[in-house]
Amino acid sequence: MELFLQRLFDGLSQGSVYSLIALGLVIIYRGTGHLNFAQGEMALFCTYVVYQCGEWGLPIGISLIIGMGVGFALGAVTEVTLIRPVAKKSQFAVFIVTLGLFQFLNWLDGAIWKDQPLPNSGVGSNQTSFPSLFPNKPTDFVNVFGAAIKLQSIGVFLLVLVLFGLLYLLFNYTKLGLAMNAVASNAESAKLVGIRTNMVLMVSWGLAAAIGALGGVVFAGINSNVNLGLMFTVFIYASAAATLGGFDSPGGAVLGGLIIGVIENMAAGYADEWVGQELKVGVALVVILVVLLVKPSGLFGTAKVERV
Amino acid sequence: MKTAPFTIKSGGGASWAIRLVVAAALAGLALWIPTSASNGLIDSCITALTLMACAMALNLLLGYTGQISIGHSAFFGIGAYTTGVLVAKYGWSPFQTFAVAFVIAFVVGALVSLPALRIKGVYLALVTLALGLVFPQIIKWPKLEWLTGGARGLDKTGFRFTKDNPTYEIFGWNPWGTLRGENVKPFHYWIAMVIVIIVYLACRGVVKSRAGRSLVAIRDNETAAAVMGVNLAGTKALVFGLSAALCSLPGCLSAIRTGNVTPDSTNLTVAGSITFLIVMVVGGAGSLWGPIVGSVLYVFVTEITGDWSNTDSIPGILRPLFGWSNTPPGTGIFAVLLIVLMFVAPFGIVGMYRRLQARVVTVVPKPAGTGTIAAPAAAPVEA
Repeated sequence: MELFLQRLFDGLSQGSVYSLIALGLVIIYRGTGHLNFAQGEMALFCTYVVYQCGEWGLPIGISLIIGMGVGFALGAVTEVTLIRPVAKKSQFAVFIVTLGLFQFLNWLDGAIWKDQPLPNSGVGSNQTSFPSLFPNKPTDFVNVFGAAIKLQSIGVFLLVLVLFGLLYLLFNYTKLGLAMNAVASNAESAKLVGIRTNMVLMVSWGLAAAIGALGGVVFAGINSNVNLGLMFTVFIYASAAATLGGFDSPGGAVLGGLIIGVIENMAAGYADEWVGQELKVGVALVVILVVLLVKPSGLFGTAKVERV
Repeated sequence: MKTAPFTIKSGGGASWAIRLVVAAALAGLALWIPTSASNGLIDSCITALTLMACAMALNLLLGYTGQISIGHSAFFGIGAYTTGVLVAKYGWSPFQTFAVAFVIAFVVGALVSLPALRIKGVYLALVTLALGLVFPQIIKWPKLEWLTGGARGLDKTGFRFTKDNPTYEIFGWNPWGTLRGENVKPFHYWIAMVIVIIVYLACRGVVKSRAGRSLVAIRDNETAAAVMGVNLAGTKALVFGLSAALCSLPGCLSAIRTGNVTPDSTNLTVAGSITFLIVMVVGGAGSLWGPIVGSVLYVFVTEITGDWSNTDSIPGILRPLFGWSNTPPGTGIFAVLLIVLMFVAPFGIVGMYRRLQARVVTVVPKPAGTGTIAAPAAAPVEA
């Protein structure tokens, strides 16, 4: 029972990170129908920015706001300068551009911060470990039915729920959110009724990248360092989460991320003979495959009707 | 519309003359490199040829069928590990392993393509991305360690040229005698060259045949293709399998060339898949020449910029641009080039060349029904 709870909460806190990245994917997908392959790398860049702010002595709260601001700017600029012009040409061109952005950002991170886990006292980092948003000293845990649950896990989980609540309010009760919904359901009609679709898309990309930045910082906090490969596997788990939840459903993305996180930890924990740490990422592959084959629209997504 | 100042008839005398000159120049270059070039250059050429074969195999799938794969590193890895295991554990001659790798990769590729029949575009990219990520993990899996050597990989997977080891004879010719005391690089170069020629001919054969036209039909409009009588499922599975099988051949070479295989070497991970894809798209998706141009350019750029970690070796004009970092800028330059090309020339360098050429020379295709049909003009790739 203790072990089960332990794994459940580990899974939930990891899953929260997947949820955050998946939310970014979904917000972009809803607006333009594009899958942003650079989502993870955009988040990673912002995470490095937060690390750098920490090096300059800023507290984590302010660093996080700066990081998310940089993320918003990065996402918005990407949409306006790179995605929008090629989106007219073809879906394939957008895919290639996001892939190019993926390569470029990863190279840029490496060029600025070198290929090493940071903070690293060997290269003169002032911080001992990546700043966590929540208390994460060895003594910071609560006992739940005999299982020691880290405060950090609970905090991360709550953070995702709060963020989802805020997004729910945004999408359902604000002019901007409603405009986003309108663009998502039919971009041309939205344009006809006077919604500035270009602005909406720009904000969507910015918002997605800012949420991704939050995910990156949370994950680096759990991981206690940031490195160049941090987001590779997170991205594929997040895609699995978005696929499971349905690519156009924010709620689905959150739930999908949590489910994937739990499945992954349970599989690695209970079937360590067979799955273990090595084949954990196989969970993502299996989930993506099964969902796409059985119910391509995911749990909460709207099924696409194709006109021939 | 402006007419070009020159006109060439496809299949006419001028066309053949140009083809002969180009072929002779290429053959001369291919012969000059292993005989006269420095070891470093030969090595770069083997790298370029390896990438070339991978990009060609991927081009068959992506450029002509429009199916996106970011998992071709897995097929490359299947090649490398088939050769590695058979040579290191079972004492086969490396040459015998190529056929086995081809068959295994074909079967795996065809199996992967079964879900691909229902999954399209970026979703397929996701599935193949997951495949590319899972492959090195399967190699490291403790249950398979007896076979794959786990995370440490396998040693002694190349040719071991010894006088009294007849296993390493190639059709009765023992290269040990020829290569004793000499450099083994030209030998690897020739293997790479043969692989590239095989892959090129296979791609060309498929593309210029009835099958190739059905591929382009599938890419441009799946429904219309099915209505015209193209067998969607069969064709897609076959092409996926063939592309995977062709991509495994350079994998076999990599095991022979380095003499060891590890699950974390670049071309076996997703980074490798992305490189294949970028090389192909920069060169020109959907053209037979694209991967050739792309891989040569890629290796050229990475070699030139390889020592730019040292500020002094950067040419003066570029120093302010790249001097601030110790990381070689090759990857960054290519990523920017990729994005820029999507704006100015979605069909890569070859596509751009064709457009410029069309302003100078008009190539008149043969009338329909008089033999081979001219290559179709590049059409938008739908993903």
